[in-house]
Amino acid sequence: MRAEFVNPFVQATCDVVRLTMGTEPKLGSLSARPKIFTATEFNVSCGIVGDLVGGVLYGLSSETAYSVAKQMLGGMEEIPDELSTSALAELGNMISGNTSSKLQALGFVCDITPPSIIRGTNISISTIDIPALVIPIELGAHGSLEITVSLKERAAVKAA
Amino acid sequence: MAKRILITDDALFMRVTLKNILTQNGFEVVGEAANGREAVELYSSLKPDLVTMDITMPEMDGLEALKQIRASDPQAKVVMCTAMGQKNMVVEAVQNGAKDFIVKPFQPERVIEAVSKLLAA
Repeated sequence: MRAEFVNPFVQATCDVVRLTMGTEPKLGSLSARPKIFTATEFNVSCGIVGDLVGGVLYGLSSETAYSVAKQMLGGMEEIPDELSTSALAELGNMISGNTSSKLQALGFVCDITPPSIIRGTNISISTIDIPALVIPIELGAHGSLEITVSLKERAAVKAA
Repeated sequence: MAKRILITDDALFMRVTLKNILTQNGFEVVGEAANGREAVELYSSLKPDLVTMDITMPEMDGLEALKQIRASDPQAKVVMCTAMGQKNMVVEAVQNGAKDFIVKPFQPERVIEAVSKLLAA
């Protein structure tokens, strides 16, 4: 995956985290994976289609997912599962949407698919043969968010 | 009398958030639609003063719902409220009659500013 695709994700995540959680996010060390699979209990998956194809997975531990959802809901006690799941899906949707705007500025017009939730670890997400990059983002007291991105230019996919 | 607003978003979280922001600022949320088709139906039955409209939704997206609502009522006030802030989306929405375009995530003040301005006009 090309390095220039990483920055839009990092910038969009930092923007969204600051606004929704009031936390100053910190970027961790990038690493590679041969494909996308879940490494955490709570995961939001979005597909990316257009000039770039692939997907992105936002992974959180159960504790971080609860803490982030609570913050997004203004500190609400007793959050119904449906509402906390929707909040975290929307977090993935907002980061992906903001990322696609930044990718368009680089000349790649892409759309995102509505988010889906995957609960559980070690579940393989896609059969697309695109190596994935893992972007860890520290969310202060909430814990950490692990973004796994697997993207290729459409032309490169067609030629393969 | 409080101005009447219809919220359209497939995410329960976003409907709850928008409803809280609007009701705390004196607006009445008369309906909540979870996709474009529901928004078109509720617009025709509820006749709200303003509609907030997400774009990426199942069944019917927000741009199509915007077109159908504006075709049935050329005076309809629709504010797009979406995470998809790309230039082409903004241009298409405005060309089809959207009155404002709010990119998520938003500050409550941005929503109130947009809605108040349009409903004062």
